[in-house]
Amino acid sequence: MKKERPVSSQQSAVSREPTTAQAADYGLLTADSPIHDCWNIIGVEGNATCRELVKFIHCRNCPVYSAAGLQLLDRPLPADYRRERAAHYAQEKKITQPARLSVVIFRLAHEWLALPTNAFVEVAERRAMHSLPHRRRGLALGLVNVRGELLICASLARLLGMEEKTETPKAESRNISVLPISAFSFSRLLVASWDGQRLALPVDEVHGIQRFQKDELKDPPATVAKSTLTYTRGVFAWRDRTVGFLEADALFAALNRTLS
Amino acid sequence: MLFLLFQIGHDRYALDARHAVEVIPFLALKKIPQAPRGVAGLFNYRGRPIPAVDLCELALERPARELLSTRIIVVHFTDDAGSAQWLGLIAERATGTLRRDEKEFVEPGVKVGGAPYLGPVVMDAQGVIQLLHVQHLLAHNLRELLLAETRVLTHEAD
Repeated sequence: MKKERPVSSQQSAVSREPTTAQAADYGLLTADSPIHDCWNIIGVEGNATCRELVKFIHCRNCPVYSAAGLQLLDRPLPADYRRERAAHYAQEKKITQPARLSVVIFRLAHEWLALPTNAFVEVAERRAMHSLPHRRRGLALGLVNVRGELLICASLARLLGMEEKTETPKAESRNISVLPISAFSFSRLLVASWDGQRLALPVDEVHGIQRFQKDELKDPPATVAKSTLTYTRGVFAWRDRTVGFLEADALFAALNRTLS
Repeated sequence: MLFLLFQIGHDRYALDARHAVEVIPFLALKKIPQAPRGVAGLFNYRGRPIPAVDLCELALERPARELLSTRIIVVHFTDDAGSAQWLGLIAERATGTLRRDEKEFVEPGVKVGGAPYLGPVVMDAQGVIQLLHVQHLLAHNLRELLLAETRVLTHEAD
């Protein structure tokens, strides 16, 4: 809805302010009553002089605004609408269980993995990493600055024994101080917090948050390498892939233990 | 307590949300030939035949307007005979809810003999909202007819 009549002065703005009587009209709409777009004139989209804003802060909290929104439903039915709806409601109702497990799906080399969403604080861009002297071989890759806080950057790939599939140690040592930051790179830094310990985990890609049912979690295949199995709680089918759901407690306990 | 709000003409009415099964769009209905005034037809609600009553037709003697805000409120209630009933109510502007205490509804002081379904009223800044008693909505003869029709259809479905 466009701003139709620009308000020339403060005086006219005040006079256009909807009174209680006007607001009442919006509750009992007649189909032909025009939409009075006060939010474009005296509301947040206009000059914000409406006295109701003190109470409602934003127009979207105001009953006048929601009543005008409901007015959009006073439109004729689209062609075939009633027949289509009748066919829809003739079907058995499908009841889906609310998704109970919220996970963040990310990629390490060729593996798609997931950890519970509540383990993460944020997903950050990859950034310069400061290597730690004498700690090249362990899980700690170095230190990164995330919002002014120095976090240990830990290698999930090393913990899970997937390193040979990712970068070769040689390439890694070359890139360790400044990780390649390309505009087309999907690689991210997952900032995790578990048991009061904050860690930065570099990953190759982050898909985002996905919800699953608990019963969608399947046992990991028996062929999975033993070291990975320790940290894998199960696998999910996600799109055409299989996602390994990691055991957060065991994983972070191992990380914290080796890093401290 | 939660109430569903709707309009009959320009007046607002409410019904107890505990009676509501679902609010569904104004879907196509199968007409019932020679049905009395107010009975708009039958529809298949998830495999169950349910009669639909047009509240506008019942109260104002004009059919409900075909708008997106006109919806069918599927209600269930126990009738005077003690049997469970399902009914679709075609209501205009069935777009809102109201949260009020039951005690806030007061008797209007007027009783219309032919409309035993009209209950107490509650007032707000925008006017008066009247409570509708779903279980008294259908006059006895209408209820008999609708029930018979539904029974026949259920039987055929079996």
